[in-house]
Amino acid sequence: MSSPLGRVVQFPVRHGATLVGGTANTTRAAFRRVTEEPSGHVDDWGRDAGLFRTITMLSEIRWAVSTGGDQHLPARKGALIVVNARRFSMAHVYSAFAISRAVDRPVRFVGRPDDTTLGALAQRLGGLLDHPDEVAGALRAGELVVSAATSSSRPREVGTVDHTIIGAAVASGVDVFPAATTSSPFSRRARIEIGSAIRGGRRRRGPLAEYELAHEVREQISLLLTEMGDINTGTPLDWLPLSGLGGN
Amino acid sequence: MSGRRVFVSGVGGELGTLVARMLEDEQWVGSLAGIDADPPRRRLQRTTYHRLSPDNHDQIVDTITDFNPHVLIHVGVWEPDARASPKAAGVLTEQAATSILGAAAECRALESIVVRSGIEIYGRGKGSLTRPAESAPIRPTSEYGHTLADIEAIAANVAERVGVTVGAVRLASVLGPHVPSPLGRLLRMPAVPFSAAADPPFAVIEHNDAARALVAAARNQLAEPVNVVAPGAITALHAIRRGRRIPVPVFGPQWFLARRLSHMLGAPIPDHVAEALTRGRLADNGRMEELLGITADVSTVEVIDHLYHWPSVVRRPARVPAAQQIGEAS
Repeated sequence: MSSPLGRVVQFPVRHGATLVGGTANTTRAAFRRVTEEPSGHVDDWGRDAGLFRTITMLSEIRWAVSTGGDQHLPARKGALIVVNARRFSMAHVYSAFAISRAVDRPVRFVGRPDDTTLGALAQRLGGLLDHPDEVAGALRAGELVVSAATSSSRPREVGTVDHTIIGAAVASGVDVFPAATTSSPFSRRARIEIGSAIRGGRRRRGPLAEYELAHEVREQISLLLTEMGDINTGTPLDWLPLSGLGGN
Repeated sequence: MSGRRVFVSGVGGELGTLVARMLEDEQWVGSLAGIDADPPRRRLQRTTYHRLSPDNHDQIVDTITDFNPHVLIHVGVWEPDARASPKAAGVLTEQAATSILGAAAECRALESIVVRSGIEIYGRGKGSLTRPAESAPIRPTSEYGHTLADIEAIAANVAERVGVTVGAVRLASVLGPHVPSPLGRLLRMPAVPFSAAADPPFAVIEHNDAARALVAAARNQLAEPVNVVAPGAITALHAIRRGRRIPVPVFGPQWFLARRLSHMLGAPIPDHVAEALTRGRLADNGRMEELLGITADVSTVEVIDHLYHWPSVVRRPARVPAAQQIGEAS
């Protein structure tokens, strides 16, 4: 009998030129996106695929986002993703852009203004009004929707999660996913980590279902933030509490 | 369910005629009758047509009570600036609704009412939902929206008093080759104004899909409102580009001038169309299949493409004047 130390775990190996394969896949996905959603195509919710592509390309100048945990999200069904947000970070917007790229399907974000120009632009990028009925309609239609907790000045603090938006997900019968975001006002690096779907602990018939679920989502985001650790630059900037990088 | 008597108001319009033609092919329909101020646009085989003006209250009531329908389909709704000026359209619609729905209440055999409504009923005020579902609050912000809300209210009142079901088919802007539509007319102009600041998306429905929805609502005895909207959406600028028209960017106060100018050029822009171009007009059509058992065959973008492929009216003067032809014939 051979020693267990002699057994080596064999990880699957990707044969062939991975760089070429990766580039081919990316090109194929981009080509498919351009052909299936040509410029000037506006979907049922007013999202303009051509404009979205342009703006996401431009957004990469500001944010370089790495997305993790996107395998938890359903392939076709609707889902509500709740993220934490640092003040003025626009976490819901860059999260929606990054998740959309990761899962290769449109992702909406909650919180577009209802004025003429800015509201119309946000709608063309996938923005929804911050209204439970609007969110419920999108979730029923099988859309992925990103909603942000109330913003906080502390990067490790998770603000209040709007229970009415959670209620829209409960009423629509879709899963709610917590997602932790970290970003910095001084660098491009940002990260999103999506957790597993949250099931309500107790079966509730009334509005307690969404209150308790909102509370659970907030706790799960805090946990994800702790697991993610800090983004460090290796400079004294990390020591500053308001830099968005340092401790609480 | 067979041998039902079905009465269609507004049977002279393009949509009413289409509905009547489709009903003629339905197995469950026994006898079919309809009224309108104008004759039907196409030949109808089984439909008894009564030419009555909406203000002819007594004769409308007699005609409907004599027919004693099981199902009433009320298509007699005048869209502002489609066939009549906004003021005349409001008066005609109100007169028709009062007479026809009032008369229906007197019919002992009546089982269900289907009314043509529109997604303008939801309004586009501040904070209104992007894609309102049927359960969204009714807050009309245009003249046509208010008219539709009044029709639904009258129908609901009649239905409650006599104990019948009422279904409202809330249609997006109906476009078709012969359908008089202010939106269609505007988009076919050589130069078309659009909101430069917003250019919001809107949805439409093709006339065949709209007629199929009304027939399905009658067949299924629809008892609640349903949004009937083609899938997808389009913005005015995208539509203009698809139709190879000249886009005219318009900002806030310039709309007043654009509307006046467009009116002078033969394509008036009523307030509900102006609202669609500045605030957008979408609706959630998710319950269409569940309630009606049908989905729209033609998407919004295809409807707009069809709009630009309709042949234009070519006016050719007679080589021999008509009076001379009559004189020669006699």
